[in-house]
This record gives sequence, structure tokens and C-alpha cells, in this order.
Amino acid sequence: MTDNVVIQTSSLTKEFLRDEFHVVALKGVDIEIHKGEFVALMGPSGSGKSTLLHLIAAMDVATGGNIRVLGQDLRALNDRQIARWRNENIGFVFQSFNLIPVLTALENVELPLKLTNLKKQERLDHANTALKLVGLGDRTGHFPRQLSGGQEQRVAIARAIVTDPALILADEPTGNLDAGSAQDILSLLSQLNKEHGKTIVMVTHDPHAARFASKVRYLEKGELLAEGAVPAD
Amino acid sequence: MFRYLPFVLKNSWRNRRRTTLTIVSISVSLCLLGVLMAIYYAFYFTDATPSQALRLVVRNKISLAVPMPEYYRDKIRQIPGVRDVAVSQWFGGVYKDRRDPKNFFARFAVEPERIIAVRGEMKMPEDQKQAFIHERTACMVGKALAEKQNFHLGDRITLQGDIFAVNLELTVRAIYDAPENNEVLYFNLEYLDQAMGSKRWGQIGTFYVLADSPDSVPRIAKAIDDSYRNSPVQTKTESERQFQLGFLSFLGNVKMILLSICAAVTFTIMLVSANTIAMSVRERVREVGVLKTLGFTRGTILSLILGEAVAIATIGGAVGVLLASGLCGFVRNGPAFSDDIRHLSIQPPVALACLAVAAVIGLISAFIPAWNASRTSIVEALRSTE
Repeated sequence: MTDNVVIQTSSLTKEFLRDEFHVVALKGVDIEIHKGEFVALMGPSGSGKSTLLHLIAAMDVATGGNIRVLGQDLRALNDRQIARWRNENIGFVFQSFNLIPVLTALENVELPLKLTNLKKQERLDHANTALKLVGLGDRTGHFPRQLSGGQEQRVAIARAIVTDPALILADEPTGNLDAGSAQDILSLLSQLNKEHGKTIVMVTHDPHAARFASKVRYLEKGELLAEGAVPAD
Repeated sequence: MFRYLPFVLKNSWRNRRRTTLTIVSISVSLCLLGVLMAIYYAFYFTDATPSQALRLVVRNKISLAVPMPEYYRDKIRQIPGVRDVAVSQWFGGVYKDRRDPKNFFARFAVEPERIIAVRGEMKMPEDQKQAFIHERTACMVGKALAEKQNFHLGDRITLQGDIFAVNLELTVRAIYDAPENNEVLYFNLEYLDQAMGSKRWGQIGTFYVLADSPDSVPRIAKAIDDSYRNSPVQTKTESERQFQLGFLSFLGNVKMILLSICAAVTFTIMLVSANTIAMSVRERVREVGVLKTLGFTRGTILSLILGEAVAIATIGGAVGVLLASGLCGFVRNGPAFSDDIRHLSIQPPVALACLAVAAVIGLISAFIPAWNASRTSIVEALRSTE
């Protein structure tokens, strides 16, 4: 593996039991994502896109195969180490924003920094910078309920980038947004990729969103299609 | 951990109605617990006052209700270290109407000069003292009792006998003030003797013994009881404080009753609190998943939820202590069977114990929901739609 590879999986498999049914969510996935790439993972519902994203973020554990992210074998880490690793290296953007409703935009963005050794003022400075970067420097004291969907997602992106992670993972980041807000969010992610060199993996259903990515990979029934291949239907 | 405090407090206040109701339920329970603990503390942890520390009470070893020979007094007086001895006979009787508890107060037949000497802390004007000593039908009442019953000097008080089959016509000649036992009526034993004729047979309920120093008290107690060890009527001598606690035992095992009620209150509020916390945590499982995604460890999430529960419970406990303090005021002014109740208040150790109990209630009631939440996998938590 070269230094340039951020994510590398081989024969990655995820199986689980749902009720009495045996489900194979991922079947022998081999993928390599390089530093600075913006990869869109596409495929129909149940194809395993989100499962792959969760495995990359060490939010779930594979049942087979290997996975290295940012040079780290995730299977070698215990829970505490994984939590720390995730805090330092991964920024995650959810479809439904998942901001903490009792915290202001600034406090939401500051939250991941509470796990660092930064002093309060430093944390606030970083959070303010992140909010300015996403264009919400004037909304720092607003609670999530006082923001539009697009603004909430921007706050979520600010929270994802505030620790300056090398890798940003986005799970349907425009799924809950109108076309205009979606466009803004995708532009923002693209800006983070191009201007700040962040590696981004984004799960999406939307072909328009996928056009912002530098590379598109398709999954079908848990299998990753060859590079350049698209599902038959 | 302090860096998470604002987050914990904001989370605590997230559902204001539920949090308020939880605080109210905890505070009401802690108020009751606080008063019970205050009573327990007053009975079993309060030190004797300096005047009490010098006094012993001698009674029949069989029971307080069984009298003993009055002539024991002379032998007790000769024991080294004894400064004075006063006889005291519980009269009982009925004042006005037995059915009204307000009319119940302690009435003792005593030797006026001796009781004033033994209870040196009683303060009253000299002329009143002399009137009480020299007038056979005179009585002396505590200031608190006089205020409660609206007794004034010169008032006539009629006591209908029940233990003793005589009615006594007394005149208030003295009103004393004392830090304790301030709701007692004392009258002349001689009057009772004359009213009863020969029916009392020289028997008496208790002797109050005044020691020359607190250090002599245990030795005097032993000496008195040893003197009558081989007599047909044996004695039991104890400090005045112990005697008061013994008097309390007429009500049953007070210690056990108080502790049982305290335990029941604590257990009940723990169940209520556990239910509320479980509900609150269940609603936020998804957020737990988000926090874990941001890098929060299981331990931190466990601490956050426990901290939240402890904060709510402790606030409830603090409100409860304030309420209990107010309730103690009502109890102090109500009918009391013990002088300790007259001085009932929430002492600092009781307040601290209440707050500690509240914190522990929060901790225990939240532990299982918090543990389960912290153990939920991120994927499972994010899937939660509650």
C-alpha cells in the first residue's frame, strides 16, 4: 500500500442476522480510495453503500476480509482507541443532520473538540472558524430549530471538519434537502475536497450529487462493481 | 469532566415539564425523608445539654410505670458525687377535654425546692419561685406551655385524675423559662399526698439526681443500682438523655420504624426516578450514536447520562431539604411527645445526608439505562427512530 492510499479493503464482507434471516450486506468488497479523491458510492437501497461507509468509519465491524483506513488496521484497535481515532481522523455527515437540539450551532460544532486537550477559548475559536468556512459565521448562537435544513447540514459539515480530519464520510448528505440547499451543500463538499484537500466518500442515490465527485463506484446486492461499470438497469 | 457540565445541565433541562415533575417528586420524597432523618438525628445523635449532662434519672428496674419506695431518696443523697435529689411523680390526668391533643402536656408532682435546685436551668422571678415553694396548691408552668395554653399568673387549673383518683385545683404561681422541658407543669407533691390520703403508700415514679460533674455520672449510676441490687425493688439509673430515649421506646422500636420508612421512601423514589431516566435515555439513543460517531467513548457517555441524573436528583434533593426545613417548623409547633421535637431542625449533617441520598438515587436509578445506552452499537443507535 502506498502512502497515497487512504482506504483499502480486501474481500470485505459483512453478514448479519435480521430476525431469523441471514443477510449478506457486503460480499468480498475490494476498493482503494486515494488521498484527495471525492468518491461517490451509488446503488439501489440495500446494496450495501451505507454498510461500507460504516465499516470505513469503524462504526461497525466486518465479518470477513481486511480494511485499512489512513494506514490503520481497524481490527487491531480496541473500543477506546477506535473512538479516539474516529475523533481525530473522521468527519461524518448524516442525512438527517443529527445536531444536538439543546446546543447552539457553535456548541454543536465545538462538541468533538471537547474530547481534545484544547482550552475553551481555543475550542471556540476553532468552532467559529469552521462555521465561517461553511458560511454560517453569523448564526453561531442559533439553535438547530432556528435554522433551515440547509443551514443545519452546514453546521453538521462544520462539526465534521472542526477537528481537521483527513477523511470526510457523508451518508446521503442531500437526502433531506431541497434542490437549492442540496446544491450549496455539494458545492461546499466539493470546495473542501478541492481547496482543502479532504478525501471525501459520499453515499448518494442522486446522480446529480454524484456528478460533484471525482469518481463514482456502484454497489449492487452487496458487491462492488468494477470501476467504470454501472448496474444493468 | 467539568468541561461537559454545561452539556449535562442543558440536557437535563431538555424536557422541562418532565424534569420539573421529576424534581418535584424527588423533592417531596426527600422532604419527607429529611424530616424523618431530622427526627432520627434529634433523637439519637444530639448531645445532652450541659445541664442535662449533670442529671441522672432513677426508676424502677421493671418499668417506668411501676413505682419504687420514696425513702430510697435518702440513701441516694448520701452517695459521693450526688449534689441533690428530687422526686418526681407523673400525674397524668385530664385537662379540659381529653379528646383534644392540644390539652395534653406533662404534669409532675414534685418537691418544689428540690426540683428548682436540680433543674437549675429553669429561670423565673424570685417572688414567683417563693410563691411556688410556699403555696401548697401552687403550680409552675414552662413559658412555652403558658403561651400555648394562654396560662397567666393566678389562673386556676383543674386536673382530673386518672392514674390517681383525685381532682386537683391548682393556681399558676410561677412561669419558668428553660432551654428544654419548657412545656411541663409542676405542682407540689405534698398536695397530691394530702389529696390521696394514705393511698400513695410512700411510692414514687422517679428520682432526678444532680451530680457534681459529668464525669461522676456513670459512677453514680452504678453506685445507685448497686445499692438496690439485692432489694425487692431494684432500680435502673441512666443519664437524663438515655432516660428520654427510653421514654420514646414506649412508642415501639422508633429507630426501626424511622429507618423502615426512610428505606421505603428512598426505594419508591428510586423506582420513579429510574422510570423517568429510562424514558429520557430511550428517546435519545440516536444522539448516543451521534456522540459515539464524534468520538465519545462508552465511559464518557455513561458519565454524561449519570451526571445528568445526578444533577436532576441533587436539585430535587436540595429543594427537598428546603421544604423539610419548613416542615420542621410546623412539626416544632405541633403537639410533641418529646422535647427533641420541640427543637427539630435540619442540621448540616442531615442536609448533607439528604443530598447524598438524592445523588445516590440519581446514580442508581440511571445506571442501567445509562449502561445500556453506552453499550448500544453506533449503527443500532443511529437506526433508532424513537
